[in-house]
Amino acid sequence: MKLALFVALAALTLQADVRLPKYTRKQLPNGAVLIVIPRPGIPLVQFRVVVKGGNEADPAGLTGLSDITAQLLRKGAGKRSAAEFSTELDSLGGTFGAGSSETASFAAAEFLKKDFAAGLDLVSDAVLHPTFPEAEVKKLLAQSVERIKAVKDSPPQAINAYARRFFYGPDHPYGRVTDEASLGKITPQSIAGFHQRQYVGRNLIVVAAGDLDAGAAMAALEKIYGSVPAGTAYQYQPAKKPMPGGRLLLIDKPDATQTYFEIMQPGIRRNDPERTAVMLMNTLFGGRFTSLLNDALRVNSGLTYGASSRLTQSMESGTVSISTYTRTDTTEKAMDLALDVLKKFHDQGINAEQLASVKAYMKGTFPTQNLETTDQVASVVTDLEVYGLNKGEVDDMFPRIDALKLEDANKLIQKRYGTTDLTFVVLGNAEKIRAMLKKYAPQMVEVSVKEAGFGK
Amino acid sequence: MATIKHSLLGVLLSGGFLFAQNADVAKQTLSNGMKVLVQEDHNIPNVAMYLFYKIGSRNERPGTTGLSHFFEHMMFNGAKKYGPKQFDNEMEKSGGNNNAYTSQDLTVYQDWFPSSALPLIFDLEADRIRDLAFDPKIIESERGVVYSERRSSVDNNNFGILREQVQAAAYTAHPYHWPVVGWPSDIEGWTMEDLRAHFKMGYSPNNCTLVVVGDVNTANVMELAKKFLEPIPANTPPPPVRTKEPVQNGERRVTIRKPAQLPLQQIVYHVGDSRSPDSTVLDVLAAVLTDGQSSRLYKRMVDGEQLVLNVNAFANTTLDPGLFSFIVQPKGGVSLDRTEQVIYEELSKLQTTPVPPEELRKAKNQLLKQQYTQLKTINGRANLLGSYEVFKGDYKKLFEEDKEIEAVTAEDIQKAAKTYFTVSNRTVGTLIPETQK
Repeated sequence: MKLALFVALAALTLQADVRLPKYTRKQLPNGAVLIVIPRPGIPLVQFRVVVKGGNEADPAGLTGLSDITAQLLRKGAGKRSAAEFSTELDSLGGTFGAGSSETASFAAAEFLKKDFAAGLDLVSDAVLHPTFPEAEVKKLLAQSVERIKAVKDSPPQAINAYARRFFYGPDHPYGRVTDEASLGKITPQSIAGFHQRQYVGRNLIVVAAGDLDAGAAMAALEKIYGSVPAGTAYQYQPAKKPMPGGRLLLIDKPDATQTYFEIMQPGIRRNDPERTAVMLMNTLFGGRFTSLLNDALRVNSGLTYGASSRLTQSMESGTVSISTYTRTDTTEKAMDLALDVLKKFHDQGINAEQLASVKAYMKGTFPTQNLETTDQVASVVTDLEVYGLNKGEVDDMFPRIDALKLEDANKLIQKRYGTTDLTFVVLGNAEKIRAMLKKYAPQMVEVSVKEAGFGK
Repeated sequence: MATIKHSLLGVLLSGGFLFAQNADVAKQTLSNGMKVLVQEDHNIPNVAMYLFYKIGSRNERPGTTGLSHFFEHMMFNGAKKYGPKQFDNEMEKSGGNNNAYTSQDLTVYQDWFPSSALPLIFDLEADRIRDLAFDPKIIESERGVVYSERRSSVDNNNFGILREQVQAAAYTAHPYHWPVVGWPSDIEGWTMEDLRAHFKMGYSPNNCTLVVVGDVNTANVMELAKKFLEPIPANTPPPPVRTKEPVQNGERRVTIRKPAQLPLQQIVYHVGDSRSPDSTVLDVLAAVLTDGQSSRLYKRMVDGEQLVLNVNAFANTTLDPGLFSFIVQPKGGVSLDRTEQVIYEELSKLQTTPVPPEELRKAKNQLLKQQYTQLKTINGRANLLGSYEVFKGDYKKLFEEDKEIEAVTAEDIQKAAKTYFTVSNRTVGTLIPETQK
């Protein structure tokens, strides 16, 4: 009895603390959303600028444009050359990173508290006044082509790129993967055009977070971002459906001594009403060490170092993807076992003990993954803006976890973890596994890592 | 990936930080010799617990290489009170998760959990140190897991293949010669007796430093440590590593040819151990060379001559004399003689010309800021506190690191460059793509 009371109290304390810190949000007349999150303690400040429209905003044939644009922001900005920008940034001990995800472009930078003004000036110059010098554009494009080769030397990275392309197909925004051909079409003009179109008030979310004075920080952001042209708000265009399942892509890497594979099916959107429940179920299925997949393929059989199920979520529906690797001669055994685990999960569902365990796990790991550092909080808050979610996403997370009933969990598993129409992507020594793979899908396509691009 | 456990990361210390006002760390040594460090932080309702066992691949011998790492895996496979799978099951159902890593010097266990699970975690950790089980079936299955890890981190990873061979060439006598994951034949060959002997040698409380950071009460942690860990008797720690690496008297070269899209290069020099006064000097020197896009090698190799995609310089932190490494990802078709040459030219400049004051200031600022970055999480702090305690002999050195960084002069850098970056002290490895197999 005493123990039960203790546990209940502990749970209450835990719950009370798991909330977004207080922050100020202001929308300017030009549409820009400014957010200031004060977090005293470690004397650092973080700036995060998010621009709605990421890879999905890349024009047809110019896949990678949003990412290349973001990477070039620091390569000449305002009156600073690329070299001057870097020297100034490094002299402050600052860090600056930029890129694009499926839904947004972003720049994130961190400075010592005392360098708030100098840091904000650097970041804002990069985001608002990049000059895209032709020499820097050429250099980055040439490096990006080489990076594709580096990706192909790394099987875990390579299979990801091939899998996206194959699962969604070339007509879907998430199936467009940056490759030699698309990089070859990107020009300084298309980059400047993308910047002019996308980096406008109506698409901007700007966050200052960390050990700062909230009022002064908001005033400083407003002064800079108030004068950005409002522009036209980026309109997200709903995508076509991904390709149908029942297909297998074999990527030949003759020197591979183990086979990497993914077994994919459609997942959910970031704002799917059942997202918390799906996250819980995916954690049980393949998102933690004791998950069904890892237990079967690693712990019980020693077939692999790790097996997981990855859930990707974005504006469009993402994927649920079983992902693992095993030595070449156990490929069939491992694939069959993975499918078997999926089938059991689908057919038999889970029990009350498993549900209780995964609920506790999600609650226990949520704070360190979302709320511990200033950059995590800044990232969570900008995500809310991009996906049109609210603070309840975090503040009500625990009640939402608690609310899931066993019966509903099992219904959800039947709906989301199908056993037919799966898409298979396999990377390995084709000669040794080709014949065996035919049983998994009626349609099989083969490519070599030596070929340009990530599939036909 | 969340479910992957037991990585082979070495502990890369790049210095400490300037958080003198935060030196609120409590330290106690239990009667069995186990050291306990506690730092309270109530920002989130979570705790990071680290156990640093001073046993790693340096404590192995030919025939049982990789045993420390294999043992790290076995520590999750059942003890007396909590049987097979229960360590993970109990921890996860209480909201916790865990991992572990093995390096040349250490085996480190990491637990992250909500503060409500603190007593359970102590119970779990005590159980496996006191009464680990050795089940032959599980040992065989785990052998497969470790071999899979080797295939992923070495055999199918070009950097892994190159690094392993360069390390083996740079060390001819000292145990740093062999890889932490172990040679394949040893992975296949370990016996039950090897495992038992290893456990007895390394896993005694007096060979361990426990670090707890997060939403805890210091007195409570000390009490739990006394209750769960103090009754475990002390044992003889691993014998000192006798073999010293002889001075290298000439350049060594390693070449690997295999199918690949891009070549790779690694250049290493022997330097001192973690307590060497040059350790911080080399951190500053490395920052001058490759930290940020204004660094010397980035400007020249990535940006100017466009020879490479990445170049990184860093000094390992190791109990015995370690290596200063350059890791280079050249672009395709680039001459590897040229990339090598450029690095030597830049090292020569460091030997002949003092680093200008503003450039030195820049490198120091970068390092100081990095220290703060590592402080952001309870996890980062637990790792740093324990690493300083083990590698530098006292966690308090962490809070002096800012002064150490500030004290580095241009002359120190010049002197270190002259001492270490000599032709006869280097080992050069290249991985050359074979177009046809």
